[in-house]
Amino acid sequence: MLRRSEAIVLRTTPFSEADLIVTTLTLDYGMIKAFAKSPRKTRSRFGSSLEPLTYSKLAFWGREDANLPRLTQSDIIKPFQAIRDRMDCFFRVTEMVELTLNLLPEREAHRDIFHLFLSILDMIEGDSPEDDSSVLTVLLYKIRFLDMVGYGPRLEGCARCGKSGYNFYISHGSIICGLCAKGMDAPMRLSPGVIKSYDTLRRWDIAKIGRIKLSRMILSELSGMLDTHIQYTAAKPMRTKVVQS
Amino acid sequence: MTLGIIENLINELTRLPGIGRKTAQRLAFFILTMPEDEAKAIAKAISEVKERARFCSQCFNITDAEVCEICRDEQRDKKKICVVEEPSNILVIERARFFNGLYHVLLGSLSPIDGITPEKLKIDELVHRVQANGVDEVIIATNPNTKGEITAQYIRECFNGHPVKVTRIAYGLPMGSDIEFADEVTLSKALEGRRQM
Repeated sequence: MLRRSEAIVLRTTPFSEADLIVTTLTLDYGMIKAFAKSPRKTRSRFGSSLEPLTYSKLAFWGREDANLPRLTQSDIIKPFQAIRDRMDCFFRVTEMVELTLNLLPEREAHRDIFHLFLSILDMIEGDSPEDDSSVLTVLLYKIRFLDMVGYGPRLEGCARCGKSGYNFYISHGSIICGLCAKGMDAPMRLSPGVIKSYDTLRRWDIAKIGRIKLSRMILSELSGMLDTHIQYTAAKPMRTKVVQS
Repeated sequence: MTLGIIENLINELTRLPGIGRKTAQRLAFFILTMPEDEAKAIAKAISEVKERARFCSQCFNITDAEVCEICRDEQRDKKKICVVEEPSNILVIERARFFNGLYHVLLGSLSPIDGITPEKLKIDELVHRVQANGVDEVIIATNPNTKGEITAQYIRECFNGHPVKVTRIAYGLPMGSDIEFADEVTLSKALEGRRQM
């Protein structure tokens, strides 16, 4: 069966002499892996359409339950080349890719996640190299993505009694107040600014996010908490973080 | 029993890239009809390459000596180093007979998502080699894809503040192709890199 969908290329893995296994986030079928014949050859009809982050219209052939459908066509809608041309920016975006690959189940359509990913790429590409706000934009993606897949940390009060608090327990993925936390391991102490910023990034209209200016300290504290939470949830260290450090 | 031996050879040949079962079968029966010395020469060449092949201590090309033939060649321009991802890239560039400098093989390209960090590539060795030998130009010939491009950008950063000239091979349309079939990224890169005639 021939299927078509808009998609964003997340990752490519070389296979055999000139072939690729392409992992894409599609609008209609969720995250799927597909086989592309000879895209690495100079005169391949795929051209640069299978480069990571490319937003394109894909056609693939194979039964709906086929493990590896075959890509038959790929037409670029937006290449997002400007992101790939800026190394620091690209490394940050690969954090989004790695998070998606690790926590999003395959073959389950998530239109909201697709649109979120696309909006974030648009926002990052629109940044000028002098005014690069991709750190905040990538953070925004992580927060909203975790919420959408149901792994978001709970910071709006104690997970047991609802009282406000600032002690975040990684093993519970939530804030737990002093009374309810008796006998538990040492928590991660969060500042009120981090909790407020997290809530703002979670709820605000994405188009207005550019108005948010977080201090370097809050940004670093919030990123640290979220990365630790992601690492605990994914049960493995994030490779892209290691490269950046 | 005989069929078992042939079957074994077919199975082993299918391990090679681009060789399916049918091709492997054809090759196996061809080997069977070959003169014995020719068949043994193939077997010997395979086992020799596995026993003796090693990386050149200077450029990480594949060689059977401490230093490869290209690095030993006195006729070559030692002030220019062409950086490639894999040893097989050297063969392709040599075939073009255009470049007369030395090479440096990175043995891969940066890919954070696959855990390939700069430490896993021969980038530190390149920086050290350039600094120690007073190289004038580093030509980055990594693949024109995302991983190759990011690797090129990383190498350029490594030479910031160093007097060496860092250049990147040009992007563009392959010779013999039609503009009609080129995608927008390739075309925009080709236009960006246009030159005066």
